[in-house]
Amino acid sequence: MSAELAQQIVNGLVVGGMYALIALGFTLVFGLLDKLNFAHGEVVTLAGFIAIFSVNMGLSIWLTIPVVIILTGAVGIIIELLSFRRFTSKEGHSVSALSSFALGIVILEMVRLQWGATPVQLDIPKSIYISGTVLFGAPIPWIKFAIFSISIFLMIALHLVMSRTKIGRSIRAVAEEPTSARLLGINTTLVTQYVFVIVSAMAGVAGLLIAMQNGIVTSDVGFTFALKGIAVMAIGGMGDMRGAIVAGLLVGVLEGIAFSIGWGGISDVIVWFLMILVLLIRPAGILGGGRQAETRV
Amino acid sequence: MAEVLGAKDLHLSYGPINAVRGVSFHLDEGETIAVIGANGAGKTTIMRGLSALIKPKSGEISFLGEPLGRRKTSDLARAGMLHIPEGRGTIGGLTVLENLRVAYDIRPNDTAFAAALEPVFNHFPRLSERSSQRAGSLSGGEQQMLALARALINPPRVLLVDEPSLGLSPVMVKEAYQALAGFQSSGMSVMLVEQNVRMALRLADRAYVLQQGEIVLEGPSDDLLSKPEVLDAYLGSHG
Ligand SMILES: Nc1ncnc2c1ncn2[C@@H]1O[C@H](COP(=O)(O)OP(=O)(O)OP(=O)(O)O)[C@@H](O)[C@H]1O
Ligand SMILES: [Mg+2]
Repeated sequence: MSAELAQQIVNGLVVGGMYALIALGFTLVFGLLDKLNFAHGEVVTLAGFIAIFSVNMGLSIWLTIPVVIILTGAVGIIIELLSFRRFTSKEGHSVSALSSFALGIVILEMVRLQWGATPVQLDIPKSIYISGTVLFGAPIPWIKFAIFSISIFLMIALHLVMSRTKIGRSIRAVAEEPTSARLLGINTTLVTQYVFVIVSAMAGVAGLLIAMQNGIVTSDVGFTFALKGIAVMAIGGMGDMRGAIVAGLLVGVLEGIAFSIGWGGISDVIVWFLMILVLLIRPAGILGGGRQAETRV
Repeated sequence: MAEVLGAKDLHLSYGPINAVRGVSFHLDEGETIAVIGANGAGKTTIMRGLSALIKPKSGEISFLGEPLGRRKTSDLARAGMLHIPEGRGTIGGLTVLENLRVAYDIRPNDTAFAAALEPVFNHFPRLSERSSQRAGSLSGGEQQMLALARALINPPRVLLVDEPSLGLSPVMVKEAYQALAGFQSSGMSVMLVEQNVRMALRLADRAYVLQQGEIVLEGPSDDLLSKPEVLDAYLGSHG
């Protein structure tokens, strides 16, 4: 393997992990409510600036992790309350989409009022981008391993929560059979709130990781990553968590490979065309575990 | 005996459709009652009203001595109302064990989960064999067992069962009713809704006959069983 290719594959995995974290948020909300949360991406942006604020206040970058989780989790509650709770009628799907879209823009514009539209430096020691190891001849800084490990850790944690805990069982029950879940004593409103806290905090950590990887935060980062997150959700199968993880890493690596063979300019075309193909050929997603996209509407 | 569940002049509707019109009944502690009626009589609608899945248009429901008011379905479940709906309400994507765990978690319980499983698996050995299988892949009869097992793993104060015999083979119907008889003899208060008149009347202490959203006949099950011609008049050829 050439050093260039190895470098790009590692980069792809790191970025793919963040795509997956963000796509998991889209797919979990979709699985639960059949709704798309268009405010999701701006949580990523907000998290980046929360990180900058905390670091400027003197917190270490590692200590900003809980700060970001708490604040973006709280934003999740607000998103649910403003853009999802009330809209339970048949038109609720489009209303929630519109409302969350608007809320995303409100968050974005508030961020821009505070921090401006130009990139802002994240003030962390530059050494973390330098010290590292060599894989297949490519120098890989430790920070990339750290970022990738945090993404993977969060995915495993989410998997354990969903498969082993009471709240995870409740989420799956409400996603599948909301009426039966209520008859079994499950408070669907509370479960929905939990989901928004979980997905927003995950998007928050993704935003922090993106800031760490780039060393800067720009207000359009959330939009860029949310777009990819939506593609990844669709490729993985809407509502399919495993699919979102696999598709996230796959898209990241595909982009990396495209860059290493000089196709970087058309990597977006490749990704979005892949999504179109997957929707046509495997509407339930690459793993086939998601809900059939064509049977909805 | 104390009343655990009751309705007074209950009206329930779906938009302009008045499915239940002025129904009154009561269920006393430890008693089993049946509501029987033909297709579309409003049986399921009554059940939905009792567990607050639909809001009454007018009238009153009381549960454990308190008016239902604006209480939520999930609150009622936690307060001891177990409604096994038409279609059984198992969660297909969860395993048998996970379904049982969800039912166990409805109310805090002094028994550990593993210990609470014992009577369930003794009573329904089939569920033990299938414990790691997705509930959606069970047969209809097995799903009904899984649904009824909820009442065993964490016994409710009041059990509402909507057509336990629906879609089951005669053997399975018998098994379901044996389970219900077991709950009954353990002192549980049971309200049963059925088209299968004979099975329901044999189990219940009292029964109400529902026709087009109104109660047209009520009384002890034995009295109703001894008047098949009256039942036939209201229910057609059922039973
Ligand atoms: N969701 C609904 N929307 C509109 N009308 C409904 C709805 N559910 C039931 N109905 C109507 O209300 C009436 C009572 O229905 P319900 O389901 O309570 O009857 P049932 O006695 O349970 O019948 P079955 O024995 O077939 O289950 C019927 O006329 C039915 O068409
Ligand atoms: Mg019915």
